[in-house]
Amino acid sequence: MLRSMLNGAVAMGWLACALFFLRFWKQSHERLFGFFALSFVVQALNSAASGLIDAQDERRNYIYVARLVAFLIILYAIWDKNRGNRRR
Amino acid sequence: MAEAVYILCAMTSVACAVLLLRAWKRTESRLLLWSGLCFVGLAVSNVLLFVDLALLPPSIDLYMPRLLSTLAAVSVLLYGLIWDAT
Repeated sequence: MLRSMLNGAVAMGWLACALFFLRFWKQSHERLFGFFALSFVVQALNSAASGLIDAQDERRNYIYVARLVAFLIILYAIWDKNRGNRRR
Repeated sequence: MAEAVYILCAMTSVACAVLLLRAWKRTESRLLLWSGLCFVGLAVSNVLLFVDLALLPPSIDLYMPRLLSTLAAVSVLLYGLIWDAT
């Protein structure tokens, strides 16, 4: 019960962060912020799924794959940003 | 296979934290500082994930410390976004 609640809180926190970055992206049209928002939405879905899926469920491994994807989006975003700066 | 994913999660989150904090040192952008600190928390959580599921026996469960470090990471970023970076 406590675990589900905390997972829900984390999911809500990620969604709130994603909304902030979505706003930054709309204001500045900077792709970095868009990627951050996308990554945080993935992490929010991830936390929600963690709260809903039972610890013994074999599908649990996919949650960590999704988490890895979220981190790779951030790494790509930073690489993309640095590449843009160098070109300028 | 699963262990490879855990260790990749840990490595990518550490890389995100390092790159964001390095970018913060270069640009002094407060948003990068808060994002970097958030990823430090996530790196802790993901290193614990690898230790918990790949190294420690099933009798020891680090789910709560992992969850709390993730919650701390999100809270730091949210605090920064609300009070500092906007």
